This record gives sequence, structure tokens and C-alpha cells, in this order.
Amino acid sequence: MPVAASAIYFLNLRGDVLINRLYRDDVGGNMVDAFRLHILQTKELGTCPVRQIGGCSFFYMRISNVYIVIVVSSNANVACAFKFVVEAVNLFKSYFGGAFDEDAIRNNFVLIYELLDEIMDFGYPQNLSPEMLKLYITQEGVRSPFSSKPTDRPVPNATLQVTGAVGWRREGLVYKKNEVFLDIVESVNLLMSSKGSVLRCDVTGKILMKCFLTGMPDLKLGLNDKIGLEKESEIKSRPTKSGKTIELDDVTFHQCVNLTRFNSEKTVSFVPPDGEFELMKYRITEGVNLPFRVLPTIKELGRTRMEVNVKVKSVFGAKMFALGVVIKVPVPKQTAKTSVQVTSGRAKYNASMDCLMWKIRKFPGQTESTLSAEVELISTIAEKKSWTRPPIQMEFQVPMFTASGLRVRFLKVWEKSGYNTVEWVRYITKAGSYEIRC
Amino acid sequence: MAPPAQSQRSPSPSQPSGKGEVSDLKMQLRQLAGSRAPGTDDSKRDLFKKVISYMTIGIDVSSVFSEMVMCSATSDIVLKKMCYLYVGNYAKYNPDLALLTINFLQRDCKDEDPMIRGLALRSLGSLRVPNLVEYLVGPLGAGLKDGNSYVRMVAAVGVLKLYHISVSTCLDADFPALLKHLMLNDPDSQVVANCLSALQEIWGVEASSSEEAAREREALISKPIIYYLLNRIKEFSEWAQCTVLELVSKYAPPDSNEIFDIMNLLEDRLQHANGAVVLATIKLFLQLTLSMTDVHQQVYERIKAPLLTLVSSGSPEQSYAVLSHLHLLVMRAPMLFASDYKHLYCQYNEPFYVKKLKLEMLTAVANESNTYEIVTELCEYAANVDIPIARESIRAVGKIALEQYDVNAIVDRLLQFLEMEKDYVTAETLVLVKDLLRKYPQWSHDCIAVIGNISSNNVQEPKAKAALIWMLGEYAQDMQDAPYALEGLIDDWEDETSPEVRLHLLTAVMKCFFRRPPETQKALGSALAAGLADMHQDVHDRALFYYRLLQHNISVANSVVNPPKQAVSVFADTQSSEIKDRIFDEFNSLSVVYQKPCYMFTDKEHQGPFAFSEELGNLAIGVDDQRVEANDEDLLLSTTRKEDSLSQQTQGALLVSLDHTEPAATHAQQTNSVIDDIFGLGLSSSPTPTPSPLLKLNAKAVLDPTTFQQKWRQLPVSTLQEGFLTSQGVAAMTTPDALVRHMQLHYIHCIASGGQAPNFKLFFFAQKADEPSNFLVECIINLSTSKAQIKIKVEDESASQAFAALFQAALSKFGMA
Repeated sequence: MPVAASAIYFLNLRGDVLINRLYRDDVGGNMVDAFRLHILQTKELGTCPVRQIGGCSFFYMRISNVYIVIVVSSNANVACAFKFVVEAVNLFKSYFGGAFDEDAIRNNFVLIYELLDEIMDFGYPQNLSPEMLKLYITQEGVRSPFSSKPTDRPVPNATLQVTGAVGWRREGLVYKKNEVFLDIVESVNLLMSSKGSVLRCDVTGKILMKCFLTGMPDLKLGLNDKIGLEKESEIKSRPTKSGKTIELDDVTFHQCVNLTRFNSEKTVSFVPPDGEFELMKYRITEGVNLPFRVLPTIKELGRTRMEVNVKVKSVFGAKMFALGVVIKVPVPKQTAKTSVQVTSGRAKYNASMDCLMWKIRKFPGQTESTLSAEVELISTIAEKKSWTRPPIQMEFQVPMFTASGLRVRFLKVWEKSGYNTVEWVRYITKAGSYEIRC
Repeated sequence: MAPPAQSQRSPSPSQPSGKGEVSDLKMQLRQLAGSRAPGTDDSKRDLFKKVISYMTIGIDVSSVFSEMVMCSATSDIVLKKMCYLYVGNYAKYNPDLALLTINFLQRDCKDEDPMIRGLALRSLGSLRVPNLVEYLVGPLGAGLKDGNSYVRMVAAVGVLKLYHISVSTCLDADFPALLKHLMLNDPDSQVVANCLSALQEIWGVEASSSEEAAREREALISKPIIYYLLNRIKEFSEWAQCTVLELVSKYAPPDSNEIFDIMNLLEDRLQHANGAVVLATIKLFLQLTLSMTDVHQQVYERIKAPLLTLVSSGSPEQSYAVLSHLHLLVMRAPMLFASDYKHLYCQYNEPFYVKKLKLEMLTAVANESNTYEIVTELCEYAANVDIPIARESIRAVGKIALEQYDVNAIVDRLLQFLEMEKDYVTAETLVLVKDLLRKYPQWSHDCIAVIGNISSNNVQEPKAKAALIWMLGEYAQDMQDAPYALEGLIDDWEDETSPEVRLHLLTAVMKCFFRRPPETQKALGSALAAGLADMHQDVHDRALFYYRLLQHNISVANSVVNPPKQAVSVFADTQSSEIKDRIFDEFNSLSVVYQKPCYMFTDKEHQGPFAFSEELGNLAIGVDDQRVEANDEDLLLSTTRKEDSLSQQTQGALLVSLDHTEPAATHAQQTNSVIDDIFGLGLSSSPTPTPSPLLKLNAKAVLDPTTFQQKWRQLPVSTLQEGFLTSQGVAAMTTPDALVRHMQLHYIHCIASGGQAPNFKLFFFAQKADEPSNFLVECIINLSTSKAQIKIKVEDESASQAFAALFQAALSKFGMA
């Protein structure tokens, strides 16, 4: 029985209550105080997101400058509770348009109460789909889909939709120009040893879509992933074109995707929700193309001097380039003076983060760039303590590049009225946690 | 809208508590109450917002209750919602005022707009005032039959709310039956899901007191209902799917084809974007295949990828929740995850709670082939800036070393840690080296060489200090300056705050004395003197004990302090396997995160009077707690403990089961009877048992609780029947013990029992005389109806009938003797 919450609180960083909503009576009213006293104002904060105080369990997560706290007294379903919070925040964001922070909450607290009332009843999550909720809870907050007053937009069969029978798409949508935007966003996670061997590497990707389509269209997406291609070649009884096929370790889909058809026919077919949504997520561990190689050498010369050399190579296509490259090269806390030379971009010592921050706005493919620095340290009496070197961390974005090699082969839109659509596809690879030990 | 809560942020000195503002509000509301002028709604809205925001930040605005109610006559939905929220919050503490709202809520429940009907019904249920429930019954009944699914959806949960306010009102109105009807027939999936949630909760509680409810609860997991829900699974919202999957995981399909059908149907759920659905599916798969070892293993392989994806996506909090589950699975079957160890490497920026779980998993999956990589990785963490993580990593390295893979290399690494010369690293390493030496005395040479160089001044933590002192005493002959190091420590006796260290110091000096008497004599003298003057009872006692021992006979003292040491080979397991199995059964809940079964952390009062259905697990709690403590103290079982457990094993399983029963204080009485039974004392006056012509049972059958629980879980129910107790039987049944003794005469042994009159629950087992085939029985006795519900599970199906008859016969004779 997955009760997700007995009460939900939104607190600011000081612990002031912004929103409180009690769903069940099995937790007392002074739960916020317990949370403030035992978690927020202690060193416990951040050590574990699930804590038990008295007979109650607290799940909390921080989102920008707000803590969201769920309190339960029974053996609740934690994963469900956290997912609920995340989904609820997404819902709020889609209402406020972007930011979710203390100010947004203060400015919209009535709306949030309205939503909290709808999305959970007596501790059981109800309908959280923004599409449906927006039909009857609006920013202006006056509309009822059932009211007899004329509204500017006809809402056919709203009752059915409110309770989620067709969940994600409204009927009767009309667009002058039918467009689909598809973004493949990948983030590369890397952990490399100081000797240059890859300890751990994977890519988590997601396919984001924005659909502005008339009616109830059926979409079909073809990727160059292994299972899909094999299936296709089987059907057409000819070998697939030579080219890389990608093996996806694991895929998850938006609820609109027909999973039965995916499993039997290996095609991603779906009736998309209106507007923006995340179509699928995947993970890849084999055959990852790392966009950057980093070769660090750090020498400690005596007690007060260090020599740092970092070479960064871009290994993606020469016609492409990376944007917003940031390389954080760690230096000891007692750094006194640095002199840094770089072959491109800018680098300087950042005292608050104890690192040399090297920024390169645009980094073309198949090139390399180096940083060489001399670091002088304050000499300390406690000379014995050696410096533990944190890893070099890197941030970047490479447009039109996918670390997995995944490509969209086709995107077909079919609707009974047979209109033409324009499809836009973009690729981008970002750094997830890209760490190189030194 | 101006954020009114701002006023609280910088309260003006004249209105510190907002009291003035509240009375202002009251005035303004009153003025608006009767007004029908245009624009009234807008000003009302602003005022309502203020009220709600005060309410949120904790200012008591209950004084404007009547004004709020007066203003609530409006057609504006938002105003209504705010008013409902306000009323729901304060009604409980102002029941008299709440009566005022009933009228308009009831009227709204009949509104032509389904939205308003639904909202009003929801608020009506949220009033939580016991003496107003009579007003709730009518609207709820109407709501359940409403033509609009939104209203029905709200009404279904409303029934559950009513149940929590007043059980009898809810049951008298026969709402559960209505819910059931709705669940099976409503076209709207959310209505179905809400009915299901409500019914599960209601019947779950009711089952303990009403047989009908118990039957209904069982019926929920019957084939037709399960299939009905499964066939519609895709219509449900993601959250409702979790509810359904959770229910299905309790269903036990009669044959393997059905299991495969269900798994095939639900396999795509593992690809769902909602992690909660994926976890619920995983639970279902694991539960379904428990009895099919090979398929179970395949399930592990299948769920690995989705789990790892969930771990690496989403916020750290979400991945923590998932990691806890992965942790549980890894601990159950480390070999299956051995090749995935790289997924468990920590990232630099991950929070502590994630890293800690990962470290534990890395430790668990280490085997011959990956130890080198894992230990190398762990050594990286040991140099981490984050001290707790560094400590955890060193402990992990130690644990792997104790597991015997490639000890040689690991010892070298541990010794390297000591060379890092960081206080906390040294401290952790010392403790580990001590444990290693106890298990592998052959390494003493290498270790001692390094340990000897450590100055005790650099070691501050009591545990580490104690470890160092232990080694100084134990290896006094190998360490040149051991006596002098000890002497130095004894000189600082007064400054030593930890009694643990002082105790170790006493023992170490004694050991050292017998190995190098001339050098230690002085130190021993001052240690004993200091010990005798010590304020701590244990330290004082130990010093006195040593002193007298030495006085009495030196060689005896030597053999007491310096007995020949055996290498320690047994590890204390943190948790008994019963506990682990229970946690596994509660997959996808808090139990997994806390790593303990739910009865250990949910409140007693939530368990209700029928909590003893948890009996088997309970028996193990005491034991477990002790072990956990012991484990905190020390990684290794002390030698004496080990010997204890060895002797227990040799003496047979019955003693073990005794050991399990003992700690539960409430079972003291029962324990006595068990002891009687073990030694056969209770049997002396007993008549010869009636032998069954068909089936002979083993009089001295043994079965430990773990095996019992395992078997109970695995086996299907072979016989389900109702037995009757004679009136004498009812009279004799003052405690479960009476029946336990009686059944013992028939060679049916009790393994656990509990409960209070009139409800008792007992678990029995029996074995065939000629072969090791077990019969397991769960027997629930209700004295008020003199009925006994008997559930029998057998290993040998052919003997099932005979045993059932025998059990029935034995039971019916209870109280006749």
C-alpha cells in the first residue's frame, strides 16, 4: 500500500513554513518543529534524506532555496514519495513558467494549495499530469471545465480527461503550422585514473520533444540502435547499411509510448502530449566516444612549490566545436600565488573553490590546448600533512555531437487529415560528472 | 498579489504576533459578508489570501471562523477552495463552529457543477470532527453513485476518511461493499484505483477483528480480481499502477505458467519512466519467482539494467531510495553483481549517504577476480578530503581483507595507510590491523614492524588507542619498546578519559609482564595502583581481580591472561536471516532504507491487537539487537562468543531456537515450557501418545525458526480447514502454553506462539518418523467462537490428508485430558 505522504511542508532555508498541507491525521501538527530542531539546524542536514524522528519518518529534498519535506508515520513507499515531489515540482514549474523558488511559492501560494489538493488525496497520489490539471486549474483560477459559462476554448469530454482515461492529450488541438522539435541531450559521466585508464564511463541520454501538432497524430521514431536495426533488417531481409549501431543498456519511455509495440516490433510509436515532454531516457556503457581527453601532470617541488601541466585534447569531428568549456584544476588550500599560462581561453586561481578555473568559450574539434602553471604555497609548520588531490572536473557542451553515436534515422508523423509537418532535430552532449584524477 | 507573509519576516514592533492584523481582517471580512456589490469577490479573494497565508506561517486565525463561513456564499471556485482549506484546518479544533459549515458544504455537494460537488465532498471528509459524521454519510453515498467520475473518485477516498474518523459509521453504512462494487465495475481507472487503496486499508485493519473482512482481504488477491486489474494495467495512472502492482505482488499464482504469463504481461513496466513503477514491478517479479531458483536468478539479471539506470538518473535523494534497494539485492546475491562493480564507484561530488551505500556494496561484491580493482579504488577514497568517507573506505578495505581474497596485497596497502600520517586514517587502520591479526596471526611479523613505529601520542581515538594497546600487550616480545610505551601510557592514566582504553591498558600490562617481567614490573605496579583507585567500576574491578589473581598464583594468572590464542574465524553477521527475509518481503518501502523490518520503526499502536501475526520475526528481534551492538563494538566475534555458538551448533538446533526465544521478555513463560520440553521434564507424567495408524511422527523433531520461516514462505497451502475446540478446551486455553503442551504429546511441536484472549496464533511443526519431511501449521484460535483456523503446509503432498486428520484429532482432544 504505497501511502506517499501524511503531510507535506515547503520551508525556506531558514526553516520558515511557506506551505503546509496535512493529508492524514496520523502525524502531529508540530512536525515542522521536529524537522527544524533535529535536521535543519543540525549537522545532520544533508547526511541522509530519510530520517526518523520520534515515530515519524521525514523525507526531504532541497530544490533551489526551498526544502520540501514529506512526513509519514507508516511504512511508506520512499521511492514513490520522492518521485512524487519531483513530479509535483515539475508541475508547479509548468504553472509558474520556469523557476521554482521561495519567491515563486510566496507569489503563488493559493495556486499551490489548489494543486496540492488535487494531486494527492489522503496520502495517495492522484493525477499529476499538467495537461489535464491545466484544464480546470488555471493561473487565473476561475475556470471550471463543467461550468456552463462559455469559455474561450472548448473542452470536449473534459470529465473523462480529468480523471486520466486518455491521460496525456486533449482532443481538438489545432495549429496553423505543424512542427515537431526533437532534442537528443546526452550527458557523459567519466571517471579516469591519473594514468589515463577509464575507470568508469557511461552516457545517460534523453530525447526531449516539443510538439505543435493538430489533432491526434501518430508518431514513429527510428534510431540507429541495435535492436531496432536488427529487427528492421530481419523484416526487409537485407543487411543494414554499414554504420555504427548503438546498443542501449536500458531504455525508459514516457507513458505515451506504446510499450507493447516497442517490445514486439521494436519501434517507438506514440501519440504525443501537446507541447514539451521527455519522450525517452536511455543509458549506454559500451562504445562511448569521449569528447575530451585530459592529461594532467602535477609535480610538487619541495614544500612550497608546485608545477601543474594540463593538456586537453578534443577528439570529436574537426568541423564541430565545444562551447562553455570549463576545466577546474585543483590546487591546495594554502595556495599563495599562481602564475598561469594557457594556449587558449582564460585561466585564473579561484580561492573559494581551491582550483585553477580555466575557461574556454569555444573549443574546436581535433585540437589541443594546454595550461601550465606554477603554484606557490604558504609554507606551514605542519609540513607532514600531504595534500589529497581532488579530481580535475570538466564542464562542456558539444552541439551536434552524441557521445553514444545515437542518431535519429526517421521521424514519421501520421494524422488522419494528412497534413505536412516540419521536423527539427538537434543533438547536444554535455558533461555529467567528468572527472580525471591527478 | 503582495506576498503577505513578508510581514512576518520583519515583524513591526507594534504588532509582533499579528493579532492586530487578525482583528483588522475580521472587521473587513464582516463588512464584505453581506455585500453584493461588483468587485466584492476580488476584495474577498485578497482577504482570504491573507488569512490563508497567516494560517500557513502558524498565526492562529481561528477567530475569524464565523466571518469566513459567512463570506463563503459565492460562486467563485477559488474563493470556495480557500474557504474549504481554511475550514479543513480549523474545524477539528472548533467542532461547534464546524457545524456552521456543514450546511453550505452539503448544499455544494448537490451543486450542478461536478467540480464543486467533488470539492465540497472532499472538504466534508477533511473536517475530521467525529460528531459530524452523520452529515457525511448521505453525501458520500450519493457521491459514490454520482454520474461524474471526478466525484466518484473523491468519494472513494472520502469513505476511507470516514473510516478513520468513525469505523462504525463507515461499516454500518456498508460502504466497503459499495466500494468493492465500484472497483469491479467503474469505467474510470482512477476511481478503481482509489477504491482499491481504500479497501486495502479498511480490510487490512478490519481483518484482525472480523473474519468476513479477512476473507474479503484474501479475496482482493484472488485470481479474478488480480486478472481484472492486470488486464487494465495500462489504463491506470503511473501512481495507481504502483498500487496495483503492490497488490499483485501478494498474489501467489498456483502454477509456473501463470507466473510467466504475468511476467510477460508486465515486462514492459520495467521501461516505465516513473521509477516508482519500475521498483514496484521489480518487487513483483522477485516475489513471484521466490520458489523458482533459476528463474529468480534470471530476474536479477533482468532488473539490473533498469535499477542501475534509476540510480544514475534523478536527484541524489531519488537515487538514494533506489540505491537502498539495490543494496538489499546486492547483499542477497553479491555474486550476481560482481561484474558490475564499476557502476558502484563513487563520484567525487556525490553526497555522503550515496557514497556510503556504494562502499558497502563494493565490499560485498569483491571476489577473487575483482578484488584488486576494488581495493585500488577504495584506496583512492581513503585519501579523500571527506573524512567520514575516508574512514568508511578504510573499513571497507579491512572487511575485504578479512574475506581472504588476496590478503597479502591488502595488508601492504593497510600498512601504507599508516604511512599517510593522518590521524583518522591511522586510527581506522589500527583497528583493522588488530582485527586482521586476530584472524591471521601469521601476518604479525610485517604488521608489528610498522606498528612499533607509531607513537601512541599520535593516536587519540579511544578505539584506535585500545587497538594499539592490545597489540602492544599481545606482541610484547616482538616489539622492543612495548613495556616502555605502556609505561608512558600508564603515566598518563589520569588524563585518559575512556574506560575502554584503561581496561585494555590493564590487560596489556599484565600480558607484557608475563613475557618480559623485569622490564614491566614497575609499570604493572603503577597500573594496578591506578586501577584500584579508578572511579570507574569495571576498571576498578578488573584491577582488583588481577591483583588477587597475582597474589593467589602467578602461573594461574599467566594462563588466565595469556591463554593460547586461536585464530578467530567466525564473523558476526549484522542481521539474522529472518530479519533480512522480512526486509526483502517489504521491498519498496521504508524498511529497505532503514534496513530493518517495519515493525521495528512504526509505532506500536499502529500495529493493532493482532500484531502477533509478526510473531516469528519478533522472536528474533532481541537476538538481533544484541548482535548489532556487539558488531558496533567490534568487527569480530570474541573467541568466547565463537565457542558459544559452536557448542550451540553441536548441541542441536533446539538449543538455537531456545536462544532465539529467550530475549523476548514477554515470552519468558513460554521459554520455561520450552526448556521443560527440551529436557523432557514436562513429559514425565504424560500418557503415551495416540499413534496414528497411517502416519507416524518423529517425537524428537527439530526445526530452527529460520528454516521454518523459509519453508513457510516457499510452500503452498495444502490444507485450509476450520477446527473446533471443545468447551473444556476453551476453558483450558488460558495461555497458548496449555495447547503447546497438549500438542507436544501428539508429537506436534510449537515453534512460536502469541496473542491475548480471545485471539491466539500458534505455529506448529512436525516431522515424519521415518524421513525428514516436515509439516508446518499455522493455527489461529478464536476463543469467543471456539473456532480454530488451520493452515497446513506440507513437503510431502501425499501425507497431507493424513496429517490434517491427525492434527484435527489432536486438536479436538485438547481440554479432554
